[in-house]
Amino acid sequence: MPDALLSDSSADGLRARVWIATLVVLVCVAVLIGKLWHLQLIQGESFVEMSLNNKVRTIHLPSSRGRILDCNGHILAENRPSFTFSVVPGELQNPQEVIKLCSPILGLTPETMRGLLERSNAAPRFMSFPIKKNVTLDELSLIRSHAEDLKGAVVETRPYRTYPEGETLGHVVGTVGEISAPELSRSARMGYRTGDLIGKTGIERQYEGFLKGEEGWEQIEIDAKGRQLGEMGAKPPRSGNDVVLTVDSSFQRYVEEIFIHRAGAVVAVDPDTGRILAMVSRPGFDLNLFSPSITEREWKKLNSDPLHPLENRCVRGLYAPASTFKVVTALAALEEKVLTPQRTFTCKGEFERAGVTYRCWNHYGHGKMDLKRAIVESCDVYFYETGLRLGPERLARWSALFGLGKPTGIELPQELPGLVPTPSWKQRTYGEPLKDGETISNAIGQGYLLSTPVQLAMLTAALANGGKLLKPTIIRQIRNADGSVVVDVSPVVRWDIGANPDHLAFLRSALRSVVSDGRGTGKRCRIPGLNVRAKTGTSQVISSKQRTEEGDQIPYHERTHALFLAYVDDLPKKIALVVIVEHGGGGGASAAPLARKIICRYYGVPDPGDPKE
Amino acid sequence: MAVPEPKWHWKSGLLSEWPPILISLTLSGIGLALIFSATSPMGEAGRSFVLRQMTWCSLGVVLMAIGILFDYHVLERWGLWFFIFIIAALVTVWALGKVTSGSRRWIDLGLLRFQPSEFAKLAVVIALAGLFRDRGGKGPLEPRDLIQPLVVVTIPVLLVLIQPDLGTAAVIFFIAVSMILFVGVDRRTLLWLGGFALAAIPTLMLFGDRLLMAYQKKRLLTFMNPDYDPLGAGYHVIQSQIAIGSGGILGKGFLKGTQNQLSFLPVKHTDFIFSVLAEEWGFIGCVVVLGLFLALFLRGLGIVGKARDNFGALLAFGCTAILFWHVTINVGMVMGLLPVVGVPLSFLSYGGSSLIASFLVISILVNVSLRKFSY
Repeated sequence: MPDALLSDSSADGLRARVWIATLVVLVCVAVLIGKLWHLQLIQGESFVEMSLNNKVRTIHLPSSRGRILDCNGHILAENRPSFTFSVVPGELQNPQEVIKLCSPILGLTPETMRGLLERSNAAPRFMSFPIKKNVTLDELSLIRSHAEDLKGAVVETRPYRTYPEGETLGHVVGTVGEISAPELSRSARMGYRTGDLIGKTGIERQYEGFLKGEEGWEQIEIDAKGRQLGEMGAKPPRSGNDVVLTVDSSFQRYVEEIFIHRAGAVVAVDPDTGRILAMVSRPGFDLNLFSPSITEREWKKLNSDPLHPLENRCVRGLYAPASTFKVVTALAALEEKVLTPQRTFTCKGEFERAGVTYRCWNHYGHGKMDLKRAIVESCDVYFYETGLRLGPERLARWSALFGLGKPTGIELPQELPGLVPTPSWKQRTYGEPLKDGETISNAIGQGYLLSTPVQLAMLTAALANGGKLLKPTIIRQIRNADGSVVVDVSPVVRWDIGANPDHLAFLRSALRSVVSDGRGTGKRCRIPGLNVRAKTGTSQVISSKQRTEEGDQIPYHERTHALFLAYVDDLPKKIALVVIVEHGGGGGASAAPLARKIICRYYGVPDPGDPKE
Repeated sequence: MAVPEPKWHWKSGLLSEWPPILISLTLSGIGLALIFSATSPMGEAGRSFVLRQMTWCSLGVVLMAIGILFDYHVLERWGLWFFIFIIAALVTVWALGKVTSGSRRWIDLGLLRFQPSEFAKLAVVIALAGLFRDRGGKGPLEPRDLIQPLVVVTIPVLLVLIQPDLGTAAVIFFIAVSMILFVGVDRRTLLWLGGFALAAIPTLMLFGDRLLMAYQKKRLLTFMNPDYDPLGAGYHVIQSQIAIGSGGILGKGFLKGTQNQLSFLPVKHTDFIFSVLAEEWGFIGCVVVLGLFLALFLRGLGIVGKARDNFGALLAFGCTAILFWHVTINVGMVMGLLPVVGVPLSFLSYGGSSLIASFLVISILVNVSLRKFSY
């Protein structure tokens, strides 16, 4: 037997130790086999797939993005190829030649090119390394003519978006850009990868799903160095769908041209269908700035502009409707039987309640008024009285019936709902009840009340079509690349306001007088031969107490906004529109003439100009 | 002094020692087949690897046979010289060694290339066996008993570490610790040992920046998070796991491993040879090979139990530890359980020094086992 081994003098001690060692060995081998089991049996399938992925490289064939067209088929957004000059480091045989031949064509200095080529040596050997993006067609032809000398130099094409109409409908059409990390994680399952283009604003974003199409693929067998051995299969890409808008781009362009003011919005809609005829937000911007991608300087300029040219005011601009809201107050008062059209109030130019004085825009007072006159001359005091008698709850109810306070559902992203104040809202938000003074302001469309231009347009449309609140729509159809229709958008009636036809008739006639009457605030919208019905509005931006100057001296940002609602409903072709000129002064003064020009253009009649009186 | 044994005793004795010999030959044969497959994508150049491995194999078998003839007690006397020789060789490597893939491990002797670190493991085992053989009856190792062994171990470990060869240094370290634990340590020593290890870690980390090369650091970081550098350090492990996993139960077949054939698996004829096995021969193939190794370990431990003296037992244990740690660390690394350190797989990996050293290990085991009855 072995002599007393080691520290323990017994043979058992040795045996024990050998047993321990045996145990350790068995455990380790078991762990190894266990891990093998895990890798080969349990996870085997996924590894097989991974090994296939190694062997077969899938080349993605990008799909052609759908176009955006106006209602007549004019192209508003389409694709053009852009060219990138790249090198494949592993195949580049003669860098000096490449630099010599290409740097003058590309407009790069030889030093710049050499630096880029050196950087490319660190990149994967058999993948293309971009040298210059957006090479023009001429430069491309010159490079191609030297093809033989330039082994390892390649020109790759990538589609980019181009906008033939430039600024027109810029906010509606929207922009595209490279997909960002958060967007990528949100839409990972839908086949997006880094570097893909995705709609960022407007229709490009809202209808991304239709516009994108489906990319195809090509499978190529490769080895570990990325060299192609042969093609294995392919699936062609499917083009995106074309989106057809309801707007006529030439009409839209006209409206954009006559809107000479610095900022504001115009929304014109067909009151029978809810289809948008024109949607203008000023200031605008040229969509082509964003393609292929916007420069940092331009982006900074657009972003830091205090007038926010990138915002679509039509769905995101919040304005106090001012006197245009009086149509709601009037109809509400009639429907709730708070008053009849014959009820009179006397306007002395101001109105007092709970120690606070509220002025009428006419400081001298309109005198004794009935409802029709109050509408025609837009008397504030009459509506203060009416508003108090209605109360905030009923006022809010009718506001909501006219579609205020909730989004209209138009197919554009990030629409704002506006605000209709109610006593419970006030309590919740400010912790105090709604005061009478606030209801008074509310009644004439000021105070907490906020609306977007598109809401006001649908409100006007409801007046024009006999009391139906429609859903506005800017999409006419969605088509395949071959022209076949995928989706045809039909008008949607959200609800009928449910007003008494007599009351509506009354209102209709009052709104006609706003334009036709000698003292009507909307007289600058008079068009011979057309029965234009309208309501003006002049919304306060700051209270009169805070105003620093008067009249022409008032600084721009303190001036009131000019609003104008107008419609024509007694012809086969109808129109309802809203014009808002930010800081434009009086609604009848600044906004009404624009409405006139637009309506004349729509009906093809010459513009009569401002009335002489 | 070798006691002459009757011839008949000798022959029948040798026959009963067939398991480790047969296993080692089988494993080398499997290794040749795997190397053939692993190097076939290289075309003409690949043939030379197989031929060279066959040459080393033959040399290894011859040396194994010679080793069995000598009584292992020869090592008692010559062990020290062997150890000094290996240290000298390691120093020579450090000073003059040929640099391949960023590390100095070889001495180029013209026709041959000699990697001393592979033999350093044997040298350490022999040295430790010599140091501990007189421990019988003296109780468990106390801290002061460890000083001499640790010095003996630390010198080659450091010399190997600065080559740099983290893997082999680690293997030597583990073998030494195994042997020390086998000899037996009391609680105090264990605490000292544990404390030493714990102290070593921050020290290593402090000096680690200078000791560890960038790629070794990357390997450790990648081990902790495989996605850290998927195209660089993590690449080996990920590709290896893909190769192993996609082998499934039966494997893809000889020469049909796509990871292998399409050159996705790097250094597959050396450190990653197990992945080639797993991909082409599947779970079954792996279990068979691991089974052969397990049989070798158990046989080795059995020899430990039956050795006729301390020196033999310690030698046998140390040799078993050499094989055990190689296999465990290599297979674990290849599967992603351990960081990627350059440790070859005994008998299977391409490499002359490793192969010959492994055959010498077998010869020592057989040697010890043979002498168990001789008196």
